[in-house]
Amino acid sequence: MYSEQFKRHLTNPRNVGKLTDANAVGEETNPVCGDRLVLYLRITNETIEAAQFLAYGCPPTLVCGSALTEMLIGRSVDAAHNISRKDLLDAVNGLPGRKQHAAGLAIEALKTALNNRSKM
Amino acid sequence: MNSSRRVYLDHSASTPVDSRVLAAMLPYLTSSFGNPSSVHLFGQEVRAAVDRARREVASLIGAHANEIIFVSGGTEANNLAIRGLCETHTSGKGHIITSTIEHPSVRGCCDNLEKQGWEVTRLPVNEAGILSVDDVRAALQPNTVLISVMLANNEIGTIQPVAEIGELVRTVRADNAQLRFHTDAVQAAGRLSLDVAGLGCDLLSLSAHKLYAPQGAGAVYVRRGVKLAPQNIGGHQERERRAGTESVPSIVAFGAAAKLAREELDQRAKHTRLLRDRFESGVSERIPDIVFNGDRERGLDHISNISFRFIEGEGLLISLDLQGVAVSTGSACSSGTLEPSPVILALGRNEELARGSIRFSFGKDNTEADVDYVLDVLPRVVETLRAMSPLNKSVSSSGFQVSS
Repeated sequence: MYSEQFKRHLTNPRNVGKLTDANAVGEETNPVCGDRLVLYLRITNETIEAAQFLAYGCPPTLVCGSALTEMLIGRSVDAAHNISRKDLLDAVNGLPGRKQHAAGLAIEALKTALNNRSKM
Repeated sequence: MNSSRRVYLDHSASTPVDSRVLAAMLPYLTSSFGNPSSVHLFGQEVRAAVDRARREVASLIGAHANEIIFVSGGTEANNLAIRGLCETHTSGKGHIITSTIEHPSVRGCCDNLEKQGWEVTRLPVNEAGILSVDDVRAALQPNTVLISVMLANNEIGTIQPVAEIGELVRTVRADNAQLRFHTDAVQAAGRLSLDVAGLGCDLLSLSAHKLYAPQGAGAVYVRRGVKLAPQNIGGHQERERRAGTESVPSIVAFGAAAKLAREELDQRAKHTRLLRDRFESGVSERIPDIVFNGDRERGLDHISNISFRFIEGEGLLISLDLQGVAVSTGSACSSGTLEPSPVILALGRNEELARGSIRFSFGKDNTEADVDYVLDVLPRVVETLRAMSPLNKSVSSSGFQVSS
């Protein structure tokens, strides 16, 4: 039912943890189901040098956190702004319809992180 | 990364079909295909087989054969028992007493009757998941028609004081002749020695596929003299209580499984208790921050329900599944809504513990090697998920508080 990419991220999640020298942090909680995702970014010269995450919730939330950090590292901030929910769903080779909100949560966390950057 | 080894620890959901049960039912999928209501020999052969099965199922619970109504499974059994009984109550809407940890089919029936104007009292359980007989006594009203309390819980395995409630019902009936007592014994049958006279129940629900028979058959025990309105109409089957041609192969399998369950009850209980104890002591040694749900002294021997702090049950379930280990969680997440296990919440646990609960249910064919494999896999999976969790203070200082 879940893709190989999904299984890979769940069994061996990438970039797990709190990035101690992050200069952009986005944290989102799904108010309905309580899933949480915290995204930590270190941005230097408009490029995302490092990305890490913490997540609590159902497997798609954990997997989307892992996949998103993989997509972000090395990207420009402008390119990161353009990452859509569909891009993230494609990166995990799709999710069942009832689980797609997990990708939305991760993208919200990304937007929050990028928007909060100037305040840090 | 995906394991080739598979370990099934979800016997409270369904059990594998015993080879002896399969052998018993196979002729009724091939040569003996008649309709038991037919008067010719094809029909009479299968009628005899259904009657034999009825006697075996009755023996499992100390009932008479004519007190057994075959249905499609546990959910239908609970529907027929509860709704069927309440529909016979002609003098207005009555009162029902039940618990907060019943199976969804019992909860659903009571919710439905409440919408139709019935009064429903849902009694809480204590921290171990056990109902108080004093609470049942205190909840009784002159118009109480039904008490429905499960024999053993499906998620945490706690055994309810059903015989004591039965005794209470017997004494109360002197003043309230209409009072009936139903118990959902779907999880308890084949795990505990059952005797309907000792339990004092009027109605009891059973399911075949928890007893190493296939899905598709269940039964309601209806004590002689208790009236029940059929929920299926349009046929004379099952003493007018359940219209529809019987599922003969499933019923034959149920009978064979009931016989084996009775004969092997002690041996199976001893085996699963050994495995459960090995598992629980191994988990306690290897994994910190866990809470066992239920009551070891008053619980089914084959169920271990554990809340793993900082992580969510579905993540653990899928991660274990990827390692070949099948378990279950009482929490359900879909379409962005999450319902933490109502049973774990009813124990007074917080939402985090209710979301992080996993049921491991052992069966007669599990081995010590199965347990050791799970004890090898589980700590690693828990560690991986906890490393990701913002609730876990040891990996995060991002300001989340773990509620207590």
